[in-house]
Amino acid sequence: MKQLITFIALTLFIYNTRAQERLILLNEGMWQADNGRVSYFEDGSILSNQWFREKNGYKIGDTPNDIIQVGDNLIAIAINWSNIVQFIRPDGTAVAATEDIPNNRRLCSDGRYVYVSSYGHECETIGGTVYFDKGYVAKIDISNFKVVATCEVGYEPEGIALYKGRLFVANTGGYAEQEGDHEFETTVSIIDAATMTVEKTIDTGVPNLYGEMSQSDRYLCINSPGDYYEIPPCGLIFDCEKALQDEKCVVVFDYPVTYNTTTLDGKFLAIGSAFSYITGEYEFSQLTINPETVIQTDGESGIEESLPGTLLADFANMTQPYGIYVNPYTGYIYGTDAGSFDGSGSLYQWSPEGELLGTHKVYINPGHFLALPPDDWANGIKDLNTPKDSKHPNNLYDLSGRKVSSPTPGRSGIYIKSGKKILYNSQLRQ
Amino acid sequence: MRNYYLQAILAIVLVLAVTASASAQNPTDSIKQLHEVTVTSKQPVRTIATSQTLSGADLQALSTTSVADALKYFAGVQIKDYGGLGGLKTINVRSLGAQHVGVYVDGIRLTNAQNGTVDLGKFSLSSMETVSLYNANKLDYCQSASEYASGATVYLQTKRPTHDSLSVQLRNASFHTWMAKVNGQFSWKGWQGFVDGEYCTSRGDYPFRYHSEYEDTVGRRANSDIRYGRVEAALFRGGFSSHIYYYDSERGCPGGIVRRLSDKYTNVGREWDRDFFVQASYQAQPFEWFRYKANAKYTNEYLRYCTKYPENQNTARVDNHYRQQDAYGALCAAFMPWKWLSLSTSYDIRYSIMKADLKRFEDVKRVDQKLVFAAQANWKGIQVAASALHQRYSDWTFVQAGAADPIDRWTPAVSLAYTFYGVTVRAWYKEIFRAPTLNDLYYTQVGNRNLKPEDTKQLNLGVEYHWDKKAWAVDVQADIYRNKIENRIVCLPLKGTYTWSMMNYGYTFCRGLNATLKGHYHSKQWNFSLLSSITWQRDVDRTDPTDEDMYDKPICYSPTFSSGLTGIVGWRSLQFTTSYLYVGERMWSKADPEDILEPYHNVDMKLSYTHNIRKISLGLCLEVCDVLDIQYEHLPRYPMPGRNYKFTLSFGI
Repeated sequence: MKQLITFIALTLFIYNTRAQERLILLNEGMWQADNGRVSYFEDGSILSNQWFREKNGYKIGDTPNDIIQVGDNLIAIAINWSNIVQFIRPDGTAVAATEDIPNNRRLCSDGRYVYVSSYGHECETIGGTVYFDKGYVAKIDISNFKVVATCEVGYEPEGIALYKGRLFVANTGGYAEQEGDHEFETTVSIIDAATMTVEKTIDTGVPNLYGEMSQSDRYLCINSPGDYYEIPPCGLIFDCEKALQDEKCVVVFDYPVTYNTTTLDGKFLAIGSAFSYITGEYEFSQLTINPETVIQTDGESGIEESLPGTLLADFANMTQPYGIYVNPYTGYIYGTDAGSFDGSGSLYQWSPEGELLGTHKVYINPGHFLALPPDDWANGIKDLNTPKDSKHPNNLYDLSGRKVSSPTPGRSGIYIKSGKKILYNSQLRQ
Repeated sequence: MRNYYLQAILAIVLVLAVTASASAQNPTDSIKQLHEVTVTSKQPVRTIATSQTLSGADLQALSTTSVADALKYFAGVQIKDYGGLGGLKTINVRSLGAQHVGVYVDGIRLTNAQNGTVDLGKFSLSSMETVSLYNANKLDYCQSASEYASGATVYLQTKRPTHDSLSVQLRNASFHTWMAKVNGQFSWKGWQGFVDGEYCTSRGDYPFRYHSEYEDTVGRRANSDIRYGRVEAALFRGGFSSHIYYYDSERGCPGGIVRRLSDKYTNVGREWDRDFFVQASYQAQPFEWFRYKANAKYTNEYLRYCTKYPENQNTARVDNHYRQQDAYGALCAAFMPWKWLSLSTSYDIRYSIMKADLKRFEDVKRVDQKLVFAAQANWKGIQVAASALHQRYSDWTFVQAGAADPIDRWTPAVSLAYTFYGVTVRAWYKEIFRAPTLNDLYYTQVGNRNLKPEDTKQLNLGVEYHWDKKAWAVDVQADIYRNKIENRIVCLPLKGTYTWSMMNYGYTFCRGLNATLKGHYHSKQWNFSLLSSITWQRDVDRTDPTDEDMYDKPICYSPTFSSGLTGIVGWRSLQFTTSYLYVGERMWSKADPEDILEPYHNVDMKLSYTHNIRKISLGLCLEVCDVLDIQYEHLPRYPMPGRNYKFTLSFGI
């Protein structure tokens, strides 16, 4: 019994030393002010709010609006108003930049090519300038950082994801309100990534598939803000596998999923927000979505109106929520508040259970995240579920592998237990 | 409310009718037809109001092309300029915001119901006699109600010719700029008038450089060209004045300088403007104790904004046309039962209609009515003025959101002054609001019909001293002020909807000091003028006391200190002017202390010479602007041109 109590106490008061949080955050800056900035966050503090400048001696550009990991040693950043896709190393140093992909939006990659969606109508490729009536997707070869192929999709394509060699592109038609020559798009374009041709176009039935799009294997979580007038906002779960097999692949539900992200166990977390001009109030919704159940039950179940911990309350208190992200390595949750329109934004960090761990001052309009693998990840250790010492789950070892009966009284230290490093904190225990 | 207005109009009309019939019976000497009072430093200045004036020779001696350039030397004025020749130029007085500045040509307001600001670049100085800035009210005896309705007022007084003349000017300036101007004036049997025409074209392709720790960018400004033509004419006779104006332009709207690896795309669009107005005003004083004035104006404005170009890949491709028409009338009456007292009232009505080919946008109509009651007393050096202004705005529209609720409000203003031994001590307080513009309320997606007016409260204490001797004149004034602006109308992003909307948000608090010193000396051959101004102010955000990062922190773009100094030396027909302007450091975002616009010094010089051969005068003029070639900005990444030259030839008969 005493052993059990000790064990519970230990589990409650340990820090898992492996959970090293490393996060790159893009601050869009202000439009046409050339003040996009990159923040770098590590283990509970912002190390720099101008990381790219410090590493490279020049500015990143105007409105960086997406960042992805391409390979172990390569990261791509889409810089919208600078018409550039910038490539960097995980240490922040610039590698190359692909120019003249105007009005680029979102990125995805298979490790060999980087695919970027664009609202523009032109693209510079190895074969010269290509022109489009609507929007397009460009394919960048990372061996020479040139655009090797393009594919026209719908107007103003936004979210882009890769599944089984196909690109799934959410079209918005977001300029419809100003341009007048087209309406909001309601479609997802499916492109064969190898040949860069549209295989099929799925009509979702809801307009303007704008905003964050998260992927969990075969499922996509897509937001529709509506048409800002009659058609209210809503959320969609899209099944890529079913789309490829020509089955019904879209489930639409009444909650917007304005800010959404994928959790470690393949669910989506979403915070929806809608503003009513009539009451002048916001309506927030919080969702944990199990996409598999949603698709199987055609939306009857799989959507839970809850979020871990204080997430919803914290988001509702923000001046201007701007993004949500789950670290795919550790499960820690991040969110951003863009703050007032000319002030700095904040980065919020929550534990995987949704306990707010801290807020950090970043720069203007922070909204796009990329977690870097924890340090030991880079050493080749990729599996968190180390084999348990099933025979003696409560045995304690020191770092030299010697079995100890209990931690040294009154002193903190690192021990091995059940195959994992634990931090024994003597202060907390008392 | 309607009845109340009706009664007011009836009363004024009745009084006018009576006086008109009275004057008809007695057509000879009893009507005193008043010329517009031109306030120059030599005439007694109504020191109860805080004002600054540039007039006549001083105005023409400045190295300026537009009204905006002249105003930047005034204390308390901040210019917002997107750079280049085609850039929009608006002014902000004592940090109230550009929409609180009313601009008046011969006492009639220039309006833009659409966005509420006046691009001062559209008005030439060559037809102006004086340019004045009044904080709060001008306080003439007979003013229209709309003259009481803005936080600060700029008065442009057109010239009344005294003789016949014809002049032609040709100019070549840096950045491929060519300009031609013709001015004809006449004065005949009590009638005076002028016709002024100007045509200008400029590529505006000036070089710029950004040099900092993180960049060394050089380039030439793209899409910064302008072409404009302006024709205006005015006709005066006694208390009658009229003005007709037409302006036509095409310009590029340059974007911010951002990181690009190629020059292939230039971002943004082009703009076409066609502005027309015709206005007339008549004032008379049939009796010692009574004066009246009537104003009428029609305005027609057209604006086209187009971004449908292959070079624009970064924004929506639009080709929008905005049309606005505006009819305005005002009646003012002043009663002076005793010499020391004046009671006045005025009723103004303006009808505006705006059309635009935006999606989901229907015509918007606005009726804006104003009624003022004002009293002024001047007794043994004590001056008191008080006014109460009532404004009522009603809109009609078929846009989906419907029209905004009418605005219906009274606002007061009070001024006190005491003059002794040439020194005047004054204090004034004014409350005024600006109504949301039609853009703020109805613009597709962004407009918010629930907006409240933006309120300002100004308090001012000042002292002024005049000293005048035959060859000498000195004028010193200093004012300290405190402004509060509540319910600021700003465009804010909506949480989580990916849209922006106009909102009432924020409260700013501003304390400041404006001081000016003017000195003149003239002898037979020599002429010296020294004009100087300083502005110190602290303009802070008081919106949210719980927000440590923002509360009591300075407002963006507001310099703490700025000053201007102009020296003019004239010898016979040779004239040399040097102007110096200093604008202190300004923040442009509150996110990082590094986000500042560097302070700048701007020195302009102008040398002109006129030679008369019999009746023909020949003039040469060389101007060098930004002599020190300082690279500066009013907005981040919108570089202003550096050193540039203007050479002008003129002929006159």
